[in-house]
Amino acid sequence: MLNKKWSIALVVAVIGSIVLSACAQPTPEVIEKEITKIVEREGETVIETAIVTEVVEVTQEPTPAPEKPVTLNWNLSTEPPQVDPALSTDTTSVQVDEMLFLGLTDFDDETSEVIPELATEWESNEEGTVWTFHMRDDVPWVKHNPATGETNVIEDEDGNPVMVTAQDVENAVKRTLNPETGSDYAYVLYIIEGALDYNTGEETDPETVGVTALDDYTVEFTLRQPAGYFPGIASMWVCRPVYQPAIDEWGARWIEPGFIVTNGPYVMDSWAHQDSMVLVKNPHFYDADSVQIERIENVMITAASTAMALYENNELDSVAPPLEEMDRIREDPQLSEELYIAPDLCTYYYGFTNNKPPFDDPLVRRAFSAAIDRVSLIENVTKGGQLPANTFAPEGIFGNVAGDPDIAPWALDPEMGAEMAKEWLAEAGYPDGEGFPTITLMHNTSEGHRAIAEAIGSMWSSTLNVDIEIQNQEWGVYLDTIEKTTPLAEMAHVWRLGWCADYADQNNWVHEVFNCEEGANRLRRNCVDETCSSVEPSEFDELTADAGKLTDQDQRAEMYREAERILSEEEAAYAPIYYYTTVRLNKPWLNRTYQALGGQHWDKWTIDWEAKLAATQ
Amino acid sequence: MIQYIIRRMLQFIPVLLAVTIFTFTLVRIIPGGPFDRIGDKTLPPEIRANLEAKYHMDEPVWQQYLRYMWNLLHLDLGPSLKFRTQTVNDIIGGALPVSAQLGVLSMALAVVIGLPSGIIAALYRNTPIDYGATFLAIFFRSVPNIVLGPVLILIFALKLGWLPVARWETPAHWVLPVVTLGTAYSAGIARLTRGSLLEVMGEDYIRTARAKGLREAVVIGRHALKNALIPVVTYLGPVLAAVVTGTFVVETIFGIPGLGRHFVDSVNNRDYPLVMGTALTYALLLVSANLFVDITYAWLDPRIRYE
Repeated sequence: MLNKKWSIALVVAVIGSIVLSACAQPTPEVIEKEITKIVEREGETVIETAIVTEVVEVTQEPTPAPEKPVTLNWNLSTEPPQVDPALSTDTTSVQVDEMLFLGLTDFDDETSEVIPELATEWESNEEGTVWTFHMRDDVPWVKHNPATGETNVIEDEDGNPVMVTAQDVENAVKRTLNPETGSDYAYVLYIIEGALDYNTGEETDPETVGVTALDDYTVEFTLRQPAGYFPGIASMWVCRPVYQPAIDEWGARWIEPGFIVTNGPYVMDSWAHQDSMVLVKNPHFYDADSVQIERIENVMITAASTAMALYENNELDSVAPPLEEMDRIREDPQLSEELYIAPDLCTYYYGFTNNKPPFDDPLVRRAFSAAIDRVSLIENVTKGGQLPANTFAPEGIFGNVAGDPDIAPWALDPEMGAEMAKEWLAEAGYPDGEGFPTITLMHNTSEGHRAIAEAIGSMWSSTLNVDIEIQNQEWGVYLDTIEKTTPLAEMAHVWRLGWCADYADQNNWVHEVFNCEEGANRLRRNCVDETCSSVEPSEFDELTADAGKLTDQDQRAEMYREAERILSEEEAAYAPIYYYTTVRLNKPWLNRTYQALGGQHWDKWTIDWEAKLAATQ
Repeated sequence: MIQYIIRRMLQFIPVLLAVTIFTFTLVRIIPGGPFDRIGDKTLPPEIRANLEAKYHMDEPVWQQYLRYMWNLLHLDLGPSLKFRTQTVNDIIGGALPVSAQLGVLSMALAVVIGLPSGIIAALYRNTPIDYGATFLAIFFRSVPNIVLGPVLILIFALKLGWLPVARWETPAHWVLPVVTLGTAYSAGIARLTRGSLLEVMGEDYIRTARAKGLREAVVIGRHALKNALIPVVTYLGPVLAAVVTGTFVVETIFGIPGLGRHFVDSVNNRDYPLVMGTALTYALLLVSANLFVDITYAWLDPRIRYE
């Protein structure tokens, strides 16, 4: 046993030191700054962490620092889980990829049209099954040294710069499809000849995959069926060239600063996991002269209200404001000026279980779709300036007919909608909701989805005089539940879901989501039995399947228009609710674009640096 | 004493083993798996099969468990299924120190505020001082972190500009999260200290001490307080284990890269190895804290002996 006096002394000492350390916190004169950087040491395969401690006198007069690089302060919102382009699935990782790795093609900020990036031009054969991309020859692989701050071009044994070649593209596509890579998004490449077999291990020879480097800067893709939308697929991160020697050397850690080799407009300077990531301009980027922002300091703040506070404190140049702040922002003279609402390539919809009575009757489905007052929902519940939806694909998707007054006009006109909804429900045999069973509406657990479900549920009760039971489940459980294999008795009548573009073509929308043969078909359209073990395709299914294979774009657009009409109006297989918007607050000194696909183009943005310095000092 | 500690530490093994079995089974019972979906989209079965093969999830469950335990014996907690370029060791190794720093500072603040105010409240029982302390304790106990945090940010960071809004960089950044987390626990400590001290003051040995003619300060400080601390320490042990392993709300509000969020997110992501890793970390700290509490008993109360 310890001596009593000693033990008391020990307690006093411990508590005393704790008090001291607690009291020492709020001294603002001297700030100790710990910069953790990952540096590379030759011959060592472990990440070395160097901790630099500098003492800064904050009470000093703020001296203008002209050498401070033009910096964008951005919130990534979360840690990017998989920055390796072959593995990326989420918007945060894709955002980082977009700045580090170039794709064959890219999307225009204004129109979402496919534009050149690594490939300057491309063409297909007449059938649209063979696509040839001609690449630029001035893109070097670069490696940034976070310790020295230098970015150097990778050189081969003879001292020549190593350029990004067609062979890199071929290797990258095959790497993504290699089953051992374990790429979630590999399936978007299944359109390529031999891709499915190689990815599923049916075929082990990568040479069977239809991608070939014809020469250093020409790459050719052979598809298993015609696809007019293929140039859009070619932009995706899963096809982007990566530097294989770095992967061989470092394994999964190759994406860490100091190891990573890239070719995009920015390079990675530091990455404190779950906390921050700094990107700096790549001086060897082919278009470096037109890149104004030299440094991007990213934080990873999850809470929208905290991000908003950082924005108001001038610590972020742009923010996605929290929903509950929207009323204040609209009333505030300064913030309302900074508010920007841009359309986004996502749609919020309610799915009907098409083979579950009474929703097996198109009249009932149409009545429920028409009885949703989308205008009031957006004004009073979602509040983000979303656009009422009468079709599935939003503006910006090739073949969309969003807002077309000839398709389901009742979805855009609440008064007409309510009136027709009552008529259709009566026509279906339930005048004023008489004899209509209680139906279940299911959403995944979230404040926002619940508010929407409650609003729509009450619209249905009041307009159609029916009883609605609202249920919710945790996301992972929920997605399992709304699979088409769930027994019909356990399946909700109506359930929410959203869809966002992978590429800007209707094939990615009406076909991949709703086609009863080749799409997900959670709606259980045209099922011969309860759990859809087989289906009987109808006109819509033939239209979307055929339209994907044509190269005549006008004809494709016309076919998709008809498909949308059947789906949204005639079958009313689902209820489109709204097209998403991106709601942002941007500081006046930030001059930016909005990219709805793939990731923001920070390299094309500019900052009025003097204005920002004046405001932040 | 040493023997006792060793015996207790040996008992950790079956406890932790049970934790691995329960956690391993429970996360697999929840519907949905780690490779079901990308956002709103369901992954095709071919892709799921590739990923399951890559992470050995195509093996029978018992084999997966043995594989896990074998790696665990080598202190390898496995790969994260969500953050695929990091291992669970990387994630916990990076996040736990931050959470521990926040947790220890907060508990220190809680003790520094809670103990004295509890003692004062007990000594001035049923006076305005006691009522005032009680009011404050109930107030801080009742205001949840999720309210206090943003209010503190609004006042001290945005309006007054004295402190940074969020993040975990300099000591100035520590103040608001530590205050947010610490005050709630200080209230609990104050109430416990007050109640326990009042009870001890009625004991015979206190009367004896007074009868010996000891000064009141010595009676309180040496005899009453030490004994009164037993319930407080009992309370502090598990609480310390909980806050050191991270607090979801405070870490989220202040953008602190701690372990707290992983407890919640890993389950939502069905990131099985990370769920196991966080649960094991917490379990290990909890049993250690309990052992520490038991050792402290012997130290605080001479009547308690471990042989």
